[in-house]
Amino acid sequence: MFSEVSAPQEGSCSLLLCRPGSEDQEPSVFDRVKPAYSPCSERFKLGERSFNRQYAHIYATRLMQMSPLLTERAQQKWGADVRIRKLCDLQMGEQCCIVGTLFKHMELQPSILKEISEEHNLLPQPPRTRYISESDELILEDELQRIKLEGNIDVDKFVTGSVIAIYGAEKNDGKFTVDDFCTADLPPQAPRTTLSSDRFVLLLSGLGLGGSHADSMLALQLLVDMVTGHLGDQGEQSGASTISRVLLAGNLLSQSTQDKDASTKAKYLTKKTQAGTVDAMRLLDEMLMQLVSSVPVDVMPGQYDPTNYTLPQQPLHHCMFPLSSSYPTLQLASNPHQATLDGVRILGTSGQNVKDIQKYSSMDSHLEILENTLRLRHLAPTAPDTLGCYPFYLKDPFILEECPHVYFSGNAPSYQAKRITGAEGQEVLLVAIPEFSSTQTACLVNLRTLECEPIRFSSFSAGDDEESEMNISH
Amino acid sequence: MDDLYLDNIDEFVNDQNKIVTYKWLSLTLGVHVNLAKQMLYHYLDQKRKEGSARLHATYLVSGKFVENGTTSHKVSVVREDQLEDAKSKMSLTVSVHVYSVQKAVLKDSGPLYSADYDAVKENLRNCSRYSAIRCADAVPRSSAEVQQACETTQAPPPETEQIKANHSNLASKPTSKQPKGIMGMFANKNVSKNQDSSKEIKLEQKEVTPVVETSKTKPAPKTNPVTNFFAKQAASKYFNNPISHTVGRTRYFPLDSKTKRLEHSDSEEEKNESRRKKRRRIKKPEPDSSDDEVIPDSPPQLQEKRDPSPSPEIQVKKEPVAVSHSDVSFHI
Repeated sequence: MFSEVSAPQEGSCSLLLCRPGSEDQEPSVFDRVKPAYSPCSERFKLGERSFNRQYAHIYATRLMQMSPLLTERAQQKWGADVRIRKLCDLQMGEQCCIVGTLFKHMELQPSILKEISEEHNLLPQPPRTRYISESDELILEDELQRIKLEGNIDVDKFVTGSVIAIYGAEKNDGKFTVDDFCTADLPPQAPRTTLSSDRFVLLLSGLGLGGSHADSMLALQLLVDMVTGHLGDQGEQSGASTISRVLLAGNLLSQSTQDKDASTKAKYLTKKTQAGTVDAMRLLDEMLMQLVSSVPVDVMPGQYDPTNYTLPQQPLHHCMFPLSSSYPTLQLASNPHQATLDGVRILGTSGQNVKDIQKYSSMDSHLEILENTLRLRHLAPTAPDTLGCYPFYLKDPFILEECPHVYFSGNAPSYQAKRITGAEGQEVLLVAIPEFSSTQTACLVNLRTLECEPIRFSSFSAGDDEESEMNISH
Repeated sequence: MDDLYLDNIDEFVNDQNKIVTYKWLSLTLGVHVNLAKQMLYHYLDQKRKEGSARLHATYLVSGKFVENGTTSHKVSVVREDQLEDAKSKMSLTVSVHVYSVQKAVLKDSGPLYSADYDAVKENLRNCSRYSAIRCADAVPRSSAEVQQACETTQAPPPETEQIKANHSNLASKPTSKQPKGIMGMFANKNVSKNQDSSKEIKLEQKEVTPVVETSKTKPAPKTNPVTNFFAKQAASKYFNNPISHTVGRTRYFPLDSKTKRLEHSDSEEEKNESRRKKRRRIKKPEPDSSDDEVIPDSPPQLQEKRDPSPSPEIQVKKEPVAVSHSDVSFHI
């Protein structure tokens, strides 16, 4: 735990609550640990982009890549002699296994066709928090056909785009009755090298700069001061020097910087007004400048950051960081981002995939959804159906080919972390990074033990009497 | 010498009514942060002993905090009266030190942030000079290195599976696998021609050509004005192409019933060269004339202008529109 690492030595009183020492006592300076870092998110970087293709190709390649994995899993689960059939070869009443992509038919799902259809005369549907309903249906599609599913399958837990294997039989009414199902489960994992000393990675997301209330600005400043070694006792400063990297997982800017007026107001009214993002980016650059002069930082874009909307989001452009981009410690990363730090593989997103699944399923906990995506072996199954995505056609880069050691998603409402083990002994630490602007909490991951600890920053406010903790309502 | 700083702090706190945080003091006096914290404590201690205790202080407490069974590391800034309380709540106290000293009672911690903000902003270049941690990697690159890094990031390797030519910046001839057929001719020629013009416009038009190709199957397609416009754009770019083969050319006729200039496109090998040169010369003053707020012309209006005028002018008119269109339509 970080606290133990930074704890003062036995018996020594606080060094800083005393007079400055004599002249020859040099103030201690610690060196930042330097881990071996290598980014491996080349497959999320897009070169030339063409949007002329249909999105159907992603589904085709997804199925093509995942079918062999699923057939293998099916044989492991239900016996090597289980019949694996294509949908066109199905026979009535025969117990068999089918592999395909799920499609969830939801009544409440916003459909552009319904909106523009004249015969319905519908107003556009207002955005809801959840689009599931009782009447949702699951349909399995393979390369040629589709079939409705019913039976022992929980419709609410699945989302469109997941590739699974189903065991059951087709009954008389043309629907497939499910007895059991299986997902691709965790991919193989490379063993990680054991470290001799504690090394930490700070995971942070949802800074919300440029927002209308500055509740978390002092907390953010405290965090920066702590990581850069200004804050705290000597023990804490030496502990902070073991933080080898800081990863900012999206939503660096607040949602309020997204100026909706630009699209609705007339251009001559908004001509002279500056976009809200300009000041916010300047704040971000100054903050990053303080950080990069002391620790390597990975910056991932999020939902409200000035980069493209579709996944994979491209790294923020370095021209927006005039001060900090001159430091080699600043790494502008894509969303999703993958990197290897001292042999520990870290993979994660800024949370858009998890939030989208949350809207279209009954799962509430970000951690549960994160685990589900790992078991499905796909980062964002709802892309491109409800989540914006680039029309890939040769390869689906969101399929997890290798199991990460740390798997995170940013901008969760609260901090959650869990360690799971896979069937083949894979060990993954799942972290749902909380939004800093509302919780003032960041995560510290210990690379040696693969444990995660939240770190909370607080200050006092006018409304507090008995406790010093600052609440959200400031 | 030792007590000089006491006078300094006295001046800041009493005369200037400043909130003296340890960080501000360290940046102002140019001392290590830990030394600044000790100085503040010394000052506070001395003043309290003297009896002129009109000073208030805030402290920083950090340690292990257990809450609902989860342990977390908590770092908080507390007022002096809340100090003991905060310390008792922690199961393990890691550090305690003076955060700031000021004359007034602080109801809110907001001023602490603003007190540091200005000092940090002025000293951004060497903000980590007085901190307790040094990072060997954090050395700013020289401007030459930054330039090089910019150029390498500007030209990511083109995806070979996509039907795109290389960036004109990098190569005059495309080095990636040549896409077959018509696209290959497009890619080839467009690259060699694209030396001066901006990459984006070219990409737009290259992207447009597949649209044109796919829609060629319908004899009289019900294209909306936008794709119609792009088709015209592509046609004109294409039409500049010395390798404008008949195969591609004929395909444009069904789409573009409105444009008459395609009828010129029969014999233009020589004309293309001169036009191209003319286009380049005329193109230069354009960036001055077009500003960001140019609303692109709507397609029908563009056609009226185009019909009586010869082709070079078409190219000229095309460019600013193309730029704006690219700004409007293609940015994701």
